[in-house]
Amino acid sequence: MSELTARPVPVSVSADEVREWLRDRVAAHTGRPVEEIRPDLPLTEYGLDSVYVLGLCAEIEDHYGIEVEPTVMWDNPALDPLAEALVPLITAH
Amino acid sequence: MTATGLGWPSGLPAALDAAIQGSRAADGPFAAARSARLDAREEFPAEACALLDGCGIARAYVPAEFGGAPGGLPELLASLRTVARHDVTVAVAHGKTFLGAVSTWVAGSAEQRRALARRILDEDAVVSWGLTEPGRGSDLLAGRLTATATEAGGRRLDGTKWPVNNATRGELISVLARTSPQGGARGFSLFLVDKNRLAEGSWRPLPKEPTHGIRGADISGIRFDGAEVPAGALTGRVGDGLEIVLKSLQLTRTVCCSLSLGAGEHALRLVHAFAERRALYGTTLLRLPLARRVLGRAAATVALADAASLMAARSAHCLTGEMSVVSALAKAGVPAIVQQTIDELAELLGARGFLTDRHVDGMFQKLERDHRVVAIFDGSTAVNRSALIAQFPLLGRLAHSGAHDAAGLAAAADVSALPALDHGALRLMSRTGCSVVQGLSAAAGRLGGLAAAGAVPQRAHEVAAALAQEVTAVADAVTALGPATRDTPPEAFALARRYELCFAGASATHLLLADPADEARALRLTAALERSLELLRPGHEAPPDAYEPVLTALAEPDASAGAAVTAKELIA
Ligand SMILES: Cc1cc2nc3c(=O)[nH]c(=O)nc-3n(C[C@H](O)[C@H](O)[C@H](O)COP(=O)(O)OP(=O)(O)OC[C@H]3O[C@@H](n4cnc5c(N)ncnc54)[C@H](O)[C@@H]3O)c2cc1C
Repeated sequence: MSELTARPVPVSVSADEVREWLRDRVAAHTGRPVEEIRPDLPLTEYGLDSVYVLGLCAEIEDHYGIEVEPTVMWDNPALDPLAEALVPLITAH
Repeated sequence: MTATGLGWPSGLPAALDAAIQGSRAADGPFAAARSARLDAREEFPAEACALLDGCGIARAYVPAEFGGAPGGLPELLASLRTVARHDVTVAVAHGKTFLGAVSTWVAGSAEQRRALARRILDEDAVVSWGLTEPGRGSDLLAGRLTATATEAGGRRLDGTKWPVNNATRGELISVLARTSPQGGARGFSLFLVDKNRLAEGSWRPLPKEPTHGIRGADISGIRFDGAEVPAGALTGRVGDGLEIVLKSLQLTRTVCCSLSLGAGEHALRLVHAFAERRALYGTTLLRLPLARRVLGRAAATVALADAASLMAARSAHCLTGEMSVVSALAKAGVPAIVQQTIDELAELLGARGFLTDRHVDGMFQKLERDHRVVAIFDGSTAVNRSALIAQFPLLGRLAHSGAHDAAGLAAAADVSALPALDHGALRLMSRTGCSVVQGLSAAAGRLGGLAAAGAVPQRAHEVAAALAQEVTAVADAVTALGPATRDTPPEAFALARRYELCFAGASATHLLLADPADEARALRLTAALERSLELLRPGHEAPPDAYEPVLTALAEPDASAGAAVTAKELIA
């Protein structure tokens, strides 16, 4: 199953980096410029409802090569807390 | 079982089939005339449901570890399909108990699971599932029914669930309720409510709704006014409601395919028998090339739907973490292709498909109405497609790479064994995409080897290779589309449809590869493959004789059940 998570995995990463990557993805998902994506607002504000954020979660797992409980997206509805929650998972990997 | 089915070969489905066949004469519970009469009067099919109780169908609703049938989801799929083959209304009316119970299997404590299993197995308790509320449709998080904590440690329910199948007849109802005023993904919880234990006056049933199809079913609702439930009614934890429901839907949506398979087989059987007898221009309708084509195509579509449904049900056991994708593919894909087939068969039946009691008691027009609901409830086609689209970015990438869970896929395709379903392994989204689709290219390659050795029809390999090209084309288009949101463009839904057909064709490929020796089965799966390509490529037509094997099989005696029932006798 190694091919399934074939993306390069960063060794260590900061919350800032994770947040910027997430902002990029949300911008791509919503077709908005990155500058418009505020990390302190719930993603539902941008049309990413509870089912669509699960797709974003799949991309997070794929990109960082980690396993995340998808409900992390619901427990951290904005990008700031989400990035904070993801960092320990990524560095522990 | 019919000779043509791929499903669970023994156990409950066979017992159900025998009992139903034996109750179709005179005015028995499954007699066509009775079914038509109840439908016209909008009367609940109580005798038919009692017959299913007597066969022990409840065992199909309960996991094996709690005393249920050993065949898991595939056996449930085959059981309800056997019922739906005769009367979709009865399958909907009885099968609902699985939908009501499944959340307890997914998230209940061991004690809750044991207790519910006992109620279902020992008392044939009817369980319903209340998600929808008036005016709020598919949006689960729009629900207003509240569950407020009481001093006694329980919850007080206020609000309405409607429309709900068996809301009135059911003793138990699993209810999704708002437990935090602001709602949201963590603002809902699930409660299994025992109506017998509610204080009088704290609830009331809502009247049965008149419906277009499944007219005899109890489609009603329930209203709670300060109905107090004990702490033990909570399924899972507070705030887990949406998660539990989305995981449960992965199983129920898969099982919904049984209704389409049954309806499709019923339609095919009725129209085939008609075409065999109908004399026209000195021959029979069945011998006219156009009619043969329509019937052959219909038989191949049912075979395709069969393959997709079986792989989906087996995936629940073998590729559990992929069910968020697989269930959406099955629930959107299977009812859609079967509905299209029923429409085409209706045309062949001419006036008889339209008149309500002239031809075999109007069974065709009834099943045609009954089947329409399958694409609406338990997540409409559009809702399932949008769930799929949400996972498109990863699905596109993995479809390109061909990476897949090879061990899980091999287990899913090998129908000789079935691991237990681990409900704890269900995930809200798939980490490994869809192994059935991603593994197609490799499977097509292996079929090439078998075809060269003469072990499978050459055509099976050609079509599987063509399908693999379709998967690449779909993956390209998905990647070009970019990530998804609620404002999904219509093109994404069209791509979802193509992805569903790739899944169905890939399912037939894997099933064929796993057991190429059974010749009749190989011909049936090859016809299914041809049909998937026809549906995927506008303007493409399968070779002239592509569907002859499945058409001839329709007229042959049923060998597998040893029941020697011909298609002709089945409609008598
Ligand atoms: C016979 C019958 C039995 C039922 N039994 C039950 C039951 O037992 N328990 C229960 O809880 N509910 C039950 N329902 C309710 C059923 O599940 C609802 O019909 C369903 O929730 C959809 O609601 P709606 O029909 O109001 O459609 P809406 O949600 O209002 O949808 C309207 C249209 O928008 C589309 N749509 C919705 N969401 C999306 C999306 N995200 N993307 C794109 N398009 C979308 C739909 O496909 C539809 O075409 C039953 C319904 C029927 C007809």
